[in-house]
Amino acid sequence: MSKYDITNWTSADDAQVEEAIRRGASRRDVLRLFLAGGASLAAGSSVFTRATAALAASPVKGGHFKAAGWSSSTSDTLDPAKASLSTDYVRCCALYNRLTFLADGGKLQMELAEAVDSSDAKTWTVKLKSGVTFHDGKTLTADDVVYSLKRHLDKETGSKVNSVAKQMEEIKAIDLLTVQITLEAPNADLPTILAMHHFMIVQDGTIDFSKGIGTGAFKLENFEPGVRSLMNRNENYFKPGGPNVDSFEYFAISDEIARVNAVISGDIHVGASVKPQSMRLLESQTGVDLVKSTSGNYTNLNMRKDMAPGEKADFIEGVKYLLNRELIQKSVMRGLAEIANDQPISPSNAYHNKDLKPRDFDPEKAKHHFEKAGLLGQSIPVVASEAANASVEMATLLQQAGSDIGMNFDVQRVPSDGYWSNYWLKAPVHFGNINPRPTPDILFSLLYAATAPWNESRYESEKFDTMLLEARGELDFEKRKAIYDEMQVMISEEAGTAIPVYLSNVDAKQSKVKGLEPNPLGGQMGYAMAEYVWIEA
Amino acid sequence: MLKAFSPASHGLHINSTGLLAGLVILFWVVVAIAGPAFAPYAPGDIVDFDFYGPMSAKLWLGSDYLGRDIFSRILLGARYTVGISFAAVTIACFTGVILGMTAAALGGWFDRILSRLMDALLSIPSKLFGLVMVAAIGSSIPVLIGLLAVIYAPGSYRFARALAVNCNTMDYIAVARARGERTPYIILDEIFPNIIGPVLADFGLRFVFIVLLLSGLSFLGLGVQPPNADWGSLVKENIGGLPFAAPAVIAPCLAIASLTISVNLLIDNLPIKIRDRG
Amino acid sequence: MSGQIPLLVVSRLGVTFLTLLIVSFVVFGATLLLPGDVVEILLGQAATPEAVAGLREAMHLDSPALVRYGQWLFGLLQGDLGVSYANNMPVADMVAGRLANTLRLAAATTIIAVPIALLLGITTAMYRGSLYDRVITTIVVSIVSVPEFLIATLAVLVFAVWLRWLPALSFTTDLSSFGQLLKAFAMPVITLSFVIAAQMIRMTRAAMIDALNMSYVEMAILKGASKTRVVLRHALPNSIGPIANAIALSLSYLLGGVIIVETIFNYPGVAKLMVDSVATRDLPLIQSCAMIFCVGFLTLTTVADIIAIVSNPRLRT
Repeated sequence: MSKYDITNWTSADDAQVEEAIRRGASRRDVLRLFLAGGASLAAGSSVFTRATAALAASPVKGGHFKAAGWSSSTSDTLDPAKASLSTDYVRCCALYNRLTFLADGGKLQMELAEAVDSSDAKTWTVKLKSGVTFHDGKTLTADDVVYSLKRHLDKETGSKVNSVAKQMEEIKAIDLLTVQITLEAPNADLPTILAMHHFMIVQDGTIDFSKGIGTGAFKLENFEPGVRSLMNRNENYFKPGGPNVDSFEYFAISDEIARVNAVISGDIHVGASVKPQSMRLLESQTGVDLVKSTSGNYTNLNMRKDMAPGEKADFIEGVKYLLNRELIQKSVMRGLAEIANDQPISPSNAYHNKDLKPRDFDPEKAKHHFEKAGLLGQSIPVVASEAANASVEMATLLQQAGSDIGMNFDVQRVPSDGYWSNYWLKAPVHFGNINPRPTPDILFSLLYAATAPWNESRYESEKFDTMLLEARGELDFEKRKAIYDEMQVMISEEAGTAIPVYLSNVDAKQSKVKGLEPNPLGGQMGYAMAEYVWIEA
Repeated sequence: MLKAFSPASHGLHINSTGLLAGLVILFWVVVAIAGPAFAPYAPGDIVDFDFYGPMSAKLWLGSDYLGRDIFSRILLGARYTVGISFAAVTIACFTGVILGMTAAALGGWFDRILSRLMDALLSIPSKLFGLVMVAAIGSSIPVLIGLLAVIYAPGSYRFARALAVNCNTMDYIAVARARGERTPYIILDEIFPNIIGPVLADFGLRFVFIVLLLSGLSFLGLGVQPPNADWGSLVKENIGGLPFAAPAVIAPCLAIASLTISVNLLIDNLPIKIRDRG
Repeated sequence: MSGQIPLLVVSRLGVTFLTLLIVSFVVFGATLLLPGDVVEILLGQAATPEAVAGLREAMHLDSPALVRYGQWLFGLLQGDLGVSYANNMPVADMVAGRLANTLRLAAATTIIAVPIALLLGITTAMYRGSLYDRVITTIVVSIVSVPEFLIATLAVLVFAVWLRWLPALSFTTDLSSFGQLLKAFAMPVITLSFVIAAQMIRMTRAAMIDALNMSYVEMAILKGASKTRVVLRHALPNSIGPIANAIALSLSYLLGGVIIVETIFNYPGVAKLMVDSVATRDLPLIQSCAMIFCVGFLTLTTVADIIAIVSNPRLRT
């Protein structure tokens, strides 16, 4: 009874549950139905919530939907493989579709795929929905999917998920609507991996992406990188009902205060990602409300284990005790965060290890460790930047706590410009920021395996790497969770990455905008809001 | 009344406005030097679980966006804003004015080449400058002062040169040249006293611009490092308190305004003998 | 004498070309000094060495920077601004619309700010030391002491959020009528006018006071000439050179310096374009923006110099 037991869930099933509720089925009835069918409790619960929410308000058609993200530049792209800013994600979600989709509660739904199945987790069969058309009228076939996935393996594409895609050893079309993916080693997570934004399906042979031709809910009308995009409803959209709004305009307002003001003044319907400090203003306004989602994004302090001072395990341990997690949660994030236990799997993920308690703020213990490391009284440079969300504030708190026990942290605020190529992974002690990834396997492979491309603290453990492979092929949820639980403990105790809190994302919207729900892949409904929202008159 | 038209009254008498302005500047200089000794809290210490808190007996000027004491932060920020700005504006104007007068007095190729170089310097975006500085030299207060001076010297040069060129055509300069006076004398004794008024006004404004630009540059990672912050940065990081009229955003604004207005008022009200040609 | 102005313009054109070349070269050097290149920036966190090498090859960026710069410069001579590294679009297309936006905003600001600044500058100089002078001076310095982002944010709060008179964003899809255009431009123009007017007012006042103190102006007063006549006929011509220079410097700010206003009002102009291009290390775009600023700046200063020469008969020899 693994997580992807309900991968074959379709909108028809949604309708069935809605119908059951309409007939008067209680939450418990629905859950019983699900448990009897072998689905997990969480999955059943989320289906129920979704169905009730859908019933509570039925969508209104029409209107011009105008929303603003927080960053945009001339490098804005409509190529899903290259998408890097959230703005790119939002646009790609409106223009293209993925094979699968991750909904609230981590529930996997099918999007372009009818089903994604495997008997051994190594050879996967993707059955496509029939009758799906691209914006230019061409019908979606297996060739498009093969092309879209294979692109990520080509270095010249510049794909952001090359390291994840590499495990797909063979991708081939079996017939017009069936694709077979063979992995180099079993990986039970493939259906979830395919829900990542970069794996959007484009048309076979596309090189120029400026036209944005996909199968998505909107057709591109106008796109100026760094300025804005304008899209119209795709009348031939394959999902029943299609998008609710007639047109969708998206751009970025990089100044957060200006973004908040634009929502309040009614110039935009949705302003993405507002700061905790803006909540007081927003909450005092009528006609404006907030959508909060905790998706597992975090800002962490990295101490490289291959150089001073992180080579001394006591230094790392000391810093983990000196991070005042509660103060970070309360004062820096104003409650929009959950306290973390120095490992990357957040509570929104089913594999989160609840028994692993976060370290308490304990300056005395920290002092003891620093003394043992022989570093007490020394000046330790800590690199922070606006590029890593809230890192300057966290660094300041660490510095203050340090000065109380005679530890001198020298905060160096460096430009956001070029932070990821110059300081991240490079400086001995520096902050990073990790975006949500849907599975523990992806996080561990990207961040903690010995060969991981972003091994932030140069953590190396043979045992860890073996367990990673073992868990990847394990199809049983409980067994898999047991392995992941232990790996989380290992990271928390051994790695040089201090993860104080998981950050929540809050989007501000006008109250008349409905249908915007939290999503585990990030704010703005996992960046896919355009298709689902509607505007009440 | 047309005061400007009456013959200039001579003497070192300073009027009350000028005196008041001078006292305000003196106050901030004292704060810049001795401020840290009087700060009730450390600049990075979170002392209030609320944010954008009001003025209270405990926190005289309320708390900032993290709940830190704004009063302490302003006291500690004074030395950055006052010190860096005065140093930078003095270097920028000194260099700009000297070169501007020299170019006007010498004319010819020296003037042409220097003027084009300054124009070139003026048209390079300062953000690019800033980033290159951080990348090439690293970040420190002297680098920051140097950068600000480089950004503001060419403007000062252009204005001083325009004034000096006008002045250079005057009869008394011709008389001085005819007397056989050397160029340094002409520049310092004949041209400079005649353009000092506008030059000082320019100095005052450039000071304001530098105070304000500081906050932009510290976000590039230049100079003032956390937990300390210059006043402009205090305004910037607490701008979210504006809708609530939080003291966290108003107090640093008032600090900036009191300093910059005083500098400009003092310049306007300097004793005639210093201000204009004596 | 009459041949001097055309001569100046011609020589300035030559010098302008040289200045552009210097600026271009300095900007190129500066860009090289910045850590990271366009490929690393585009890949961001995904920039593994293999990925960087692969994409660099795909984008044809594997030739040395100096060679690419040479090619760009050669293209520029033929009127081609090149192709952006970041999105493969012709730089000319990217710049055109945004330059028009910038010029529109700059023109609107100039029309409002310059006459007001001149009027206030001259009158405060005429009534130097009076209550009028002191009030205006204090207001002007107070306004310029307020950070630009605060003025802009406060304007949005008051006029867009509380009063709901004006839109919070200036670049919107529905700019169909002149009234809407006026509304959209009101706040950015006011903010920018606040920022640039102060310098012009202060400099005008200072230069005028200096001119009024000149002996021949005092002579004219003693002779009993009228106040207005003294100012317009004797003092103004003598101070117009410095005033024109101050105005030129202030206006040049409207080209590349309006990044804060462009950001807060979401107005796509060239200042934001330049910042973007620096952030992505997009060499052709950085160079093109720098050239635009430089040409704009040199045009303004040349005009200021010409005005100075025309206004001061002694400079015409």
